[in-house]
Amino acid sequence: MSKTIRLGTRLRYPITIVRLLKTPGEQIKKQEPLLEYSFKWKREIVDEIGGNTRQEEQTTTVTWDSPADGELTKWHITEGQRIVADRPCMVVKEECPHAVQFGGLCAMCGKDMTEVNWAAETRDTARAPIHMVHDQTYLTVSEDHAQRTEAKLQRRLLHSRKLSLVVDLDQTIIQACIDPTVGEWQKDPSNPNYESVKHVKSFQLEDGPSDLARRCSYYIKTRPGLEDFLNRISQMYEMHVYTMGTRAYAQNVARVVDPQGRLFGNRVISRDENGNMFAKDLQRLFPVSTHMVVIIDDRSDVWPRNRPNLIKVSPYEFFKGIGDINSSFLPKRQDLLTSDATPNGSSKKGKAQELRQMAEKIDATLNAGGEMTGGDDPALTKLQLEEQERAFEKQINDRPLQVLQEKLDKEDEEAEKATVHSEDGSESRSSSPPPHRHRVLQDDDTELKYLEKHLTYLHQTYYAEYDSNCGSHATNGNVDLTLVPDVGRILEELKGQVLQGFKIVLSGVLPRGIDIYRSEIGLQIMSFGADLLPKIRNDVTHLVVNTSQPGREKLFDARCRPHIKIVSQEWLADCFSRWEAVDETPYLFTTRLVGEEEPGDKPKGDDMIIGDDTNGEAENTMPNGKRSKGLKLKLIAAPGHTRKPKPVGDGDEDDSEDSDDSEIEEGLLPEDLPDGQVSPIDSLKTFNWDSADAELAEFLASGSSDEEEDNEDDEDDEDDDASDDVDYVKNEEDQEISSSSDNSRKRRARRSRSRSKTASPSSPSRKRKSHDDEEEAGTESGGGDESPTKKLRRTKSQRASSLRNQYVADEDEPQQGDHSGLPTPLGTDDADAKQQKEVNASPVPIEEGGEEDDDLDFDEAELEAEFEREFEREFDKVGAEAQAEEDGLRQGDMDGADTEKG
Amino acid sequence: MFFLHNLERRVTLHPSYFGRNMHELVTTKLVKDVEGTCAGDYYIIAVMDTFDVSEGRILPGSGLAEFTVGYRAVVWRPFKGEVIDAVTHTVNPHGFFAQAGPLRLFVSSHLMPDEIQYDASATPAQFTNNADIVIEQGTHVRVKIIGLRTEVGEMWAIGSINGDFLGCLQA
Repeated sequence: MSKTIRLGTRLRYPITIVRLLKTPGEQIKKQEPLLEYSFKWKREIVDEIGGNTRQEEQTTTVTWDSPADGELTKWHITEGQRIVADRPCMVVKEECPHAVQFGGLCAMCGKDMTEVNWAAETRDTARAPIHMVHDQTYLTVSEDHAQRTEAKLQRRLLHSRKLSLVVDLDQTIIQACIDPTVGEWQKDPSNPNYESVKHVKSFQLEDGPSDLARRCSYYIKTRPGLEDFLNRISQMYEMHVYTMGTRAYAQNVARVVDPQGRLFGNRVISRDENGNMFAKDLQRLFPVSTHMVVIIDDRSDVWPRNRPNLIKVSPYEFFKGIGDINSSFLPKRQDLLTSDATPNGSSKKGKAQELRQMAEKIDATLNAGGEMTGGDDPALTKLQLEEQERAFEKQINDRPLQVLQEKLDKEDEEAEKATVHSEDGSESRSSSPPPHRHRVLQDDDTELKYLEKHLTYLHQTYYAEYDSNCGSHATNGNVDLTLVPDVGRILEELKGQVLQGFKIVLSGVLPRGIDIYRSEIGLQIMSFGADLLPKIRNDVTHLVVNTSQPGREKLFDARCRPHIKIVSQEWLADCFSRWEAVDETPYLFTTRLVGEEEPGDKPKGDDMIIGDDTNGEAENTMPNGKRSKGLKLKLIAAPGHTRKPKPVGDGDEDDSEDSDDSEIEEGLLPEDLPDGQVSPIDSLKTFNWDSADAELAEFLASGSSDEEEDNEDDEDDEDDDASDDVDYVKNEEDQEISSSSDNSRKRRARRSRSRSKTASPSSPSRKRKSHDDEEEAGTESGGGDESPTKKLRRTKSQRASSLRNQYVADEDEPQQGDHSGLPTPLGTDDADAKQQKEVNASPVPIEEGGEEDDDLDFDEAELEAEFEREFEREFDKVGAEAQAEEDGLRQGDMDGADTEKG
Repeated sequence: MFFLHNLERRVTLHPSYFGRNMHELVTTKLVKDVEGTCAGDYYIIAVMDTFDVSEGRILPGSGLAEFTVGYRAVVWRPFKGEVIDAVTHTVNPHGFFAQAGPLRLFVSSHLMPDEIQYDASATPAQFTNNADIVIEQGTHVRVKIIGLRTEVGEMWAIGSINGDFLGCLQA
């Protein structure tokens, strides 16, 4: 237990050893002086009379104190030696290496390790930094000790010809749920699910994470055939439980699965001891070598560092729709290979984002390293606990299983009715007893069968290789651990043969914007030896499509190459779970999509069927008259887009898009439309883009100088935005109906005039307004085929001005379609109101304003009222003038509008 | 080792409890608060009686009344070198954990007689000398405390069964 001790970095090098105070063989204690050394330093001397400073070199001799206890065995330095940098100076034989520590105490000598000593640079607790015990975070060991313990373990395993197997619980060997419905079904033999839930075990957690979790029962369904599986596997593997549930949960489940404690013993680790909420890590249990460890888990993303050792099993889903009750801490899973996963575009995007964030978090926590304090960020942990609590509550209250069963019952009933209705005597249904109900819970999982096969195979291969390694030097008892093969490598080799030579393209399986080479499914495909390609090429062998959401392009491409097998994703899932290239026939995807051509025809990918509903937005982004579909998709796909490395030999280099999904590539190139279909953007071809550009330029230019004046507008905008979404749709319709209403335009023009009176005369916003007026008049006269760009712009501004629209309605004017394309300030409203008042003595405008603002914040309403009053006052001054000019202007306007229209 | 110890504690009482039986309530609250806790280097096992409940003082701001209560309690303080009986809790390759009342002890494999070895293949795992001594979960052991460390509300101890009359207790 000799330890070499260094001088340390805190000394003022260079130093000279003056005297050694101890001789080898003497006992030394911490903080005892061991040697004297001298060093030189500059001292600043201030001459107070002269006022100048000079430096004088001084030599000081000090002692160096022992940072360790024990017996001094050897000096590495001699008296008189000059030392320029930190170096080893002596060897001490320590009584205790403090290699095992428990709660800050050395477990070997009982000394307190947390004492901070000025003589030592490092703390004694740092000497045992490794956690390797399953159920404790207080017990730590040194590297040396960990190595020895693990070597011992490996010898023992080799001796009994076993491997270590780390088993996940949730959805791997069991599924848990807390839906109280299960308990009710268990008590009710007449329930169709009674047979299924009969063997579901349950327990309650006394020390659950929350009050709620303590009260509810956990129902545990073991995977079919689990008991036999575990019994047989335990002959070949020493099993550990590694779960993201709490300790109490893990222990209770272990008791359900293994009542005698024969299989797992106390080798159970839960998230309480894991030290990381997001990831599992084999190094937590096997800090030195993972050469003999295999993992079975239903999620591969929680094992970022131990992928090679992982056998991913398909998640066990007995309680439909419940998932993993302990997964609220983990990132959302992305690797589901079932066709019913049909998230829409936006949520997929969100998920991808979330995944990325989570991954960053995981990285961060991994980098933060060995801190085993249980929580990473206490606030975050708390948040997640709350989230879990919410999920629990939801499950208890919503009873998803019951809902599902009711739905199924209803379907049954309807089917029953239908058969009765048809009165078809030979109906197969009539043979089954009428009260037969379908059940939600089907226990038809076969994964463990395959899993057992794989594990057995792996075990055999491993020991075959080990035996051939040992071969010649068959030394009994004393095993050479360097001969131990790496099970991770063997596993990769075995898996790599499964789909060797397959070239697979995915379509519609992954959300857009995700790098297929880094996605779960992509990694898995590659781990099974297949090549993953981004797009259809001639040497592609399989196209895997999401049967509920097939991407069109790739599908059509593949259809014209008969050698490509188009299969559903279940094929992939089955290949993964069976470790063999499953026969594709039952999985072939033969459904024809809407608008699909006969096979053999040159596919025309760009039908309008998919794109139709999105075109309305697409056109808005088009500054030229070209076909816009491709561009729009490109724009959407662009943010957060990670470009894939292009496979070598990919001929199609001009395509810079992520070609994971279909339309993107094709859409970039404008193509002929199929006959008889009119693109909704055809009208754009005739649209004068120059005027739009000019307008935009003007709008942008005027924006800054306009600000002051527009303040009120903005306020209006904000107020209205919330309440306006509903009527703006209506307004749009109205607009089409009464778009050519002269009256409204007159009013608008009048307003802009009167406004220009109240505001500064040279305001650019006025210019904008009148410009707008022209613009609008032009399009309106154009009738129905106005450009969607304009429509959007108009609807936008309509939202802003709807307050006034409402006001117009109040005035009982028949034409609702009074739409200026502009946000109009309240002041103008007021002016109008005032005029109105003068004419038909309607209520005071302030009151009106107040009414309109009823649903707004009180403060804002008040503020607005104040504004209005101010405007009124101002208006009174100019009112007379305005009135005088009004008539003349109105006349002029009408003329102007007429000419515009013409 | 057990002691009868005179202690003092400040107990606060919510205004809604002000009334005739205030002192009873104070005692109840005291018992609830302190029994079973670790106060530095000893555990308070049981409160015997309260012998002095001071006049209540209203705390400014909150309205709670604060009483200074003198009480006698049975406390247990483990000492370094003391020999105590404990029950084995879990066994792992580095040693085993044993529970002596509220105190959790760790007995490292270094502090066992040489002939006692870890046996992982047994179910459950155990330390054994392949003869009469078997230490597994639930086994009663007599250990000597060789190290103690206290923190607020927590205590850690290292035990040893390396010595005469220490180790497995035959029933």
